[in-house]
Amino acid sequence: MFERFSQIRKERHDYARAWKERTGGKVLGYFCTYVPEEILYAADVLPVRILGSHEPQDVTEPHIFGMFCPFCRDCLAQGLKGRFEYLDGLMIAQSCLHIRQAYTSWEKHRPVEFSHYLCMPHKVKSPRARTFLTGELETFKTAVEKWTGIEITDERLHEGIAVMNKSRDLMHRLYDARRSDPPRLTGTEALEVVLANQMADKREHSELLEATLERLPDREVPERASGTRLLMVGSEDDDMAFFEMVERVGGTIVTDDHCTGTRYFWNKVETNGEPLLRAIANRYCDRPPCPTKDWEARDRIEHVLKLGRDWDCKGAIVIQQKFCDPHELDIPATKKALEDAGFPVLILEFDVTVPVGQFQIRVEAFLEMLGADDLF
Amino acid sequence: MITAGIDMGAKNVKVVVLRDGEVIGRAMKAAGFEAAETARQVLEAALKEAGVTRSAVQKLVATGAGREDAPDQDSNLTEVGCVSRAATHLVPEVRTVIDVGAEEGRAIRCGDHGKVVDFAINEKCAAGSGAFTEAMARALEVSIDELGPLSLKSTKAIPMNAQCAVFAESEVVSMIHSNVAKPDMARSVHDAIASRIISMVRKVGYTPPLMLVGGLARNVGFVDSLKRGLEIDDLHIPDNPEFCAALGAALAAAADA
Amino acid sequence: MSEIPTYPTEPLRCWDKAKELRRRYYERYRDIKDEGGLRWAGGAWSLGAVPAGLGRDVASITSEPYAASIAFNKELSIQCMEAAEKKGFARDLCSYMRTYWGSLILDKYAFGGPFPKPDFIWQDHICCSHAKWYQVVTDIETDIPFFSVDVAAGPAHEINDNKIDYLVGQMLDGIEWLEKITGRTYDDELLIEACKNEFRATSVWAEICSLNKAMPAPLDEKSMFSLYVLGTLEKHAASVADFYEELRDEVKDRVDRGVAAVKHERCRLISDTQPPWGFLKVFRYLEQFGAVSVGSLYTFGLIGLFEIKPDGTWGPRTTPMDAGVDLSSREKVLRAYAEWNLHKPEWQHFYSPHLKSEMMIRMCKEWNVDGVMLHYNRGCEGLTLGIAENRLALIEAGYPVLPFEGNMGDEREFDLAKTMDRMDSFMETLSLKKVASA
Repeated sequence: MFERFSQIRKERHDYARAWKERTGGKVLGYFCTYVPEEILYAADVLPVRILGSHEPQDVTEPHIFGMFCPFCRDCLAQGLKGRFEYLDGLMIAQSCLHIRQAYTSWEKHRPVEFSHYLCMPHKVKSPRARTFLTGELETFKTAVEKWTGIEITDERLHEGIAVMNKSRDLMHRLYDARRSDPPRLTGTEALEVVLANQMADKREHSELLEATLERLPDREVPERASGTRLLMVGSEDDDMAFFEMVERVGGTIVTDDHCTGTRYFWNKVETNGEPLLRAIANRYCDRPPCPTKDWEARDRIEHVLKLGRDWDCKGAIVIQQKFCDPHELDIPATKKALEDAGFPVLILEFDVTVPVGQFQIRVEAFLEMLGADDLF
Repeated sequence: MITAGIDMGAKNVKVVVLRDGEVIGRAMKAAGFEAAETARQVLEAALKEAGVTRSAVQKLVATGAGREDAPDQDSNLTEVGCVSRAATHLVPEVRTVIDVGAEEGRAIRCGDHGKVVDFAINEKCAAGSGAFTEAMARALEVSIDELGPLSLKSTKAIPMNAQCAVFAESEVVSMIHSNVAKPDMARSVHDAIASRIISMVRKVGYTPPLMLVGGLARNVGFVDSLKRGLEIDDLHIPDNPEFCAALGAALAAAADA
Repeated sequence: MSEIPTYPTEPLRCWDKAKELRRRYYERYRDIKDEGGLRWAGGAWSLGAVPAGLGRDVASITSEPYAASIAFNKELSIQCMEAAEKKGFARDLCSYMRTYWGSLILDKYAFGGPFPKPDFIWQDHICCSHAKWYQVVTDIETDIPFFSVDVAAGPAHEINDNKIDYLVGQMLDGIEWLEKITGRTYDDELLIEACKNEFRATSVWAEICSLNKAMPAPLDEKSMFSLYVLGTLEKHAASVADFYEELRDEVKDRVDRGVAAVKHERCRLISDTQPPWGFLKVFRYLEQFGAVSVGSLYTFGLIGLFEIKPDGTWGPRTTPMDAGVDLSSREKVLRAYAEWNLHKPEWQHFYSPHLKSEMMIRMCKEWNVDGVMLHYNRGCEGLTLGIAENRLALIEAGYPVLPFEGNMGDEREFDLAKTMDRMDSFMETLSLKKVASA
């Protein structure tokens, strides 16, 4: 049922190349989910998320110091190894420090036709940030127009917003289908859909997802969907092998807060008669924050707890990408809040490959502990 | 002219006695806790092999991690300089040298006459040194000499994460429990070390021809992984690769005397 | 380099004054409440002139220099970091942060007594850790009001009104917030005075750094650490601006008379990122070879503001006062303040390491540098950002580079013996042997 999504993920480069050939359009690779894809769709560009390939590599050492997270080095390795040589554009929205290096090294050593660093503000909770971001989006929009030769009219922006919003609506429906007991799909299957969403043309993805959602209610739910209900919290996580292991040993991931999950699609652009770029700026300031933007107050924690409650989770697995400072800064407070709210927490540290065997021991012990709670 | 070089390595002390550019004596012993005393013994053994007395040695240069403690030295130099000098003495065209010892892995880019252009040394991670193979040999329950030939029997590559030796070790344990064939695991270990070393080589910029020295050069599995990782068919490995730094020190002594 | 030069050396006359200023700064922070004053905590890059508008009895403590001070006290340093780690904070987090939190958790002020609690937190935010640092502080001490200004508005060459508006808007909001939480009425005259002090202090510091282009260098970087720190403590204070003018005059005099920092200067280096504070002896070690570090983009540009002069070289940035900018109102001075800070050299690499490479190569040329030592500092992700690309660019530009790993604040991550070994190798590649009489 989810094979096509899985195929897109596995064959992401073939997909993008085929799209280019079919449409004659431009493909832009991006790091970080704060990139305003609405504007790119408005200019007929296909935005694709750059993720790593989970292989150890020896090419980034001259470019990025080893103390920066394995994810940013894995992403850069894809560029240095020429796997994305079909890209016409490359961009990043300002968020964490580590991933910036993937962008700046890639841009220098594998230059592309168009590149852009969007100054996404960090103080998203200040009204000043919205005005600032609107201005930065103006600059970005002009740059995209110059690159593509397309005038991004309001009409086109409406279209771009509609494409993104529709996708978000459908993703919510998919995640809502995980509220039931058992959920209609496993966490692994949901991950396939989210990842494909970040790599495919959203119009195509939405069509596929709509058809899938239609068939979901009648589907025979796989046995793995009946495991202990878990919440996954973290930075970015596209580690299929890990998800599969968790769901093989008796857990079922029913929802998440990470940027290859709900943080990507959670809220929509609300136009409400606002100028469109302002409306887009509001969306990105209002969305569930990356830890780098969750201050002065801690709003992220409340959002995570609500996910845990609304999806009736029994426990949480916190995935800490090795060396990731923003998440390390949040973890003690998040762990405490989750535990105080009745969600036991397992913290695991990730690299580009994971010691599945060792993690299995920990996950099994955690599930046993959660199961024992039920008995008492 | 007769000179001598002492390499006070982290694990072993090595001495080379040189006469007019030819090695006439060589000896090695585990350093132990009394490195200076060991050095005296090793020097004596090398001199005996060379058939000369200490007084015949005009100059003695020390190198290695413990070089300041080498007894009876006229001066000392770092391994980087010594290895570079020795490598280009043996094969003048060599431009990149990899030296993997017990505790450190080094990549050196050299110019004419062994002048060091740039160098990189592995930092805070045992996965780029000989000590790692020893830990892995123990985990696989083979001797250190068997580890190399065993890995050549491998039929498939299993990528292992080599950022951190501790992480890598737990991956080997996982592999053991997943019934991965021993040759494949052995190969995986060598691929991991080679990857770490190659990262360093890329840092200084790989320029052929390449020479591999240091104790790990005797490990055929590691050599195989290195060649595959760098996509090369050939590299130079001198006889007695663990004596390179000591040779370089002896050559430096001759150049200076 | 066959002849070993010998230059006259003299200790700095204003050295003791620098020490005294620093001591008084930390005492004032601790004791100001006794006179009914206010005290705040924030980063060294906090827009500190703003809280100055609350009155002349406002003291501050800046977090990074405070943590660096603790790094010199190895015992206290470990205690602090272990206290933070016990609370669940990872070891690879910024070592300044862990040290600072530890100091709070243990309630130990590095300068004696319990940790004096700030009345409010006034922070900047450019690296990932900045605002989160104090968010964690408020997790530990829950009742301290906290405001942070996001200064990550883009590199200097892209400054436009939208970016300045963003910073100014936040500062205006901040002033309203300060009035609310302190109950005081804000005084724009004090703000203008403080901003002018900061313009002056940071420009004159850049002038001092520029004087180090002279051969022999009148100052060595190790000494400069004890001098630039004053700017990191309170660059908006008249005492700091005045001191830098005094120091500049003395350094000019040294240049005129050919007085050197290092007697046998024959090799000039620059370094980068914070040094390993617990191991500054590595700079003294270099002197044994006649090698001197004449500065770094860090020492120069953390607080110094530069510009390209008519002759095409780097020199101190012309202050808004000297440039005739109208600073007569709150809004006007804040605009100038925002623009001034957005030009900070050490803020540029956050957007691209290649901007920093350009500046470092310029420094190598103009300061007559023979080699570069890069501290791959595990303790600070912000300043070590992109350092590998800086290394590549410097090598490409023909400068020998020595990278060495370490940690500015966590001595457990610094291997002195191995680092000295690498320095030996580096000196060999530069064909330098130790000078017998050094």
